[in-house]
Amino acid sequence: MRELSFALSFSVMALNAQDSLRLTNAKKVSLRCMAAAAILELYMDNGFTKEGEFLTFRREELQSAVIPMYLESVVKILLGKNEIISATLPDYLSMVTKLSKRMLVEVEQGFAVFLKEANALEEIPALLGCDLEYVSAGISMKEYRSHSDLYTRITESLRAEILEEGIMTDEAILMLWLLRESGCFYDLFSKVELKRVAERMYELLDSSFLAKQVYPIQIHKSIETAIKNFLKIKKEVMSTPTGSGINFIFPLIERSQSVFIDTEEYFANKADRLSDVKARLESKGHTFAVIREGEVPLIKIDNVLYEAVPSAKQYRIPVHGVRLRKYPLSL
Amino acid sequence: MSRQRSIDKILASEFVSIGELVRLTGCRYSTLKFYTEEGMLPFKQEEENLTRRFPREEALVKIQEIQGLKKQGLSISEIKERLVEK
Repeated sequence: MRELSFALSFSVMALNAQDSLRLTNAKKVSLRCMAAAAILELYMDNGFTKEGEFLTFRREELQSAVIPMYLESVVKILLGKNEIISATLPDYLSMVTKLSKRMLVEVEQGFAVFLKEANALEEIPALLGCDLEYVSAGISMKEYRSHSDLYTRITESLRAEILEEGIMTDEAILMLWLLRESGCFYDLFSKVELKRVAERMYELLDSSFLAKQVYPIQIHKSIETAIKNFLKIKKEVMSTPTGSGINFIFPLIERSQSVFIDTEEYFANKADRLSDVKARLESKGHTFAVIREGEVPLIKIDNVLYEAVPSAKQYRIPVHGVRLRKYPLSL
Repeated sequence: MSRQRSIDKILASEFVSIGELVRLTGCRYSTLKFYTEEGMLPFKQEEENLTRRFPREEALVKIQEIQGLKKQGLSISEIKERLVEK
């Protein structure tokens, strides 16, 4: 696998596990930061013409220079109808806060196509798409999954550079800022490590010109970040053994962890129930294996263990089926 | 400005940082840090607060060796003994 550029490396972290079909709050945060990452990459690779503090980009450079698609999509958005754009680096970075939904989708397209071609990202079906209500409403659910080895290499090398003593590269300095703004800090560092990260950021504010320029800038929207963090914490709590039990009783608390698959017949026997579940999961592209048969079979879906508990849902008429409950061993 | 080195440049250099070792091997940072602190990976450090520099070829061979021994089911202390014997 080839090496990824700065902006693409950040995108591998930012897009992982995001809904690929809808523009969720969490994805908006990531996409804004991906646009900022593209600007920073262009800045580090001398893609702008520097005149004092001002960085200039002309539309004609899009044709003459070899600019990858993901950078082109961001630059085109920044240019708008203008032939030339000139601003300071902080001003460029602040522009990403004003990107509309349509622009964010363009940014996503530019990055996702490139990453998929590089085998760094794939779209996988989300388990919630198998739920009765989603199937009958015709709603397809898919999410991005980064290449696991690549994800590990990117995140672990970054962790090493930040947590180790010594000089940090420009990429790591800027990546720290992007992680702060995208709220991805908590995915990469433990609470103890975060203290060290904060210390490092303060040190950098004194010693690095790049950090001085970039760290005071805020491109996140507090409400979006708050929603993103709240939803993440809720999902984490509902993934614990206690939480998954509570969620089984009150499925609405965390809908993504509560999947109901209907059976064709009323009072279906255990073999029919299992075959209906298998048919639904395979039709949506999930890998499926039965670990233990019985009244409550243990099944492995996409490498995660679930118990298929017989259940019923009350609509105008009751619907029989199974509810999937994460097996404690896989929690 | 100090830019990140490309994989080609890392592969051409005698010494690498722990972050670069992570990029080369795909091992976790905490794993390599543990190996270093246990004295299983050789490194040079000019002063206490400066970056640890690992001899690239020697470190890669050692990591492969440790992982091979781990797959055989040996404990860390047994692996350390084996490495000392060599």
